[in-house]
Amino acid sequence: MSPGLVAVLFVGVALVAVGAFVATWKRDLSAALAGLPLIFGGAGVAFAGAARFSAASDPKIFGQEVAALLAVAALALVALGVGIAGRGTSR
Amino acid sequence: MDSLHAIGFYVSAAISVGGGIMVAFLPGRGARGLALAVSGLGIAGLYAALSADLAGLVALVCYAGCALLIAAPRYRVVDSPVGFVWRQAGAVGAAALFAVLAYAAYRGDFVSATYRGGEIGTAAIGRVLFVHDALATEAVGALVLVALVGATAAWRVRERGR
Repeated sequence: MSPGLVAVLFVGVALVAVGAFVATWKRDLSAALAGLPLIFGGAGVAFAGAARFSAASDPKIFGQEVAALLAVAALALVALGVGIAGRGTSR
Repeated sequence: MDSLHAIGFYVSAAISVGGGIMVAFLPGRGARGLALAVSGLGIAGLYAALSADLAGLVALVCYAGCALLIAAPRYRVVDSPVGFVWRQAGAVGAAALFAVLAYAAYRGDFVSATYRGGEIGTAAIGRVLFVHDALATEAVGALVLVALVGATAAWRVRERGR
């Protein structure tokens, strides 16, 4: 069965929800940072999917662009969060 | 979408969501980082299945970096002051978010599907990034710069305080 827009959006939604779950469930706030890339990844998948399945002339580039920017932003935010947490003992 | 792309899409979806769930439940930083790397691999596979190959490559590198940062043994544990009940409420809220967004996705089947697969498209994306959406690219670049400088400054201030 070929996946359509709904399937792509469903996967994006699942990633966003799992990321939100990670961010709220982890007691250690440094570990909760791991939810951010999942949320951003879900948004990127939704963007790429919407661009991929849209009927306009050549919009798939826009979805790729936003997905790439979201991945870079996720890495930057995780680096900032880990830096703010600072050094210490591991768990 | 041909059958190879479809299989890749479903496998990548399972890997990405499964890796995300493992991030939530696995104990230990190394295991969490590995699970995040697995999830990032799945997300990159999703991009590739959606003909967003360059975004897949960028995601692969960025999620590997995120996984290394999460798995690093030297950062401090910051315990949340929020109690177990509120964390459970947050989990229920995440489930509610999933339900609402899934309903919106289910109702979102309003565009026609056309296959535009193929090339990686680095030149076209570069043109869009640096010509059409230069401001957004600058904003993300500034975010990266602020994040790296802020992380370094915070790290050094804490070290100096000891």
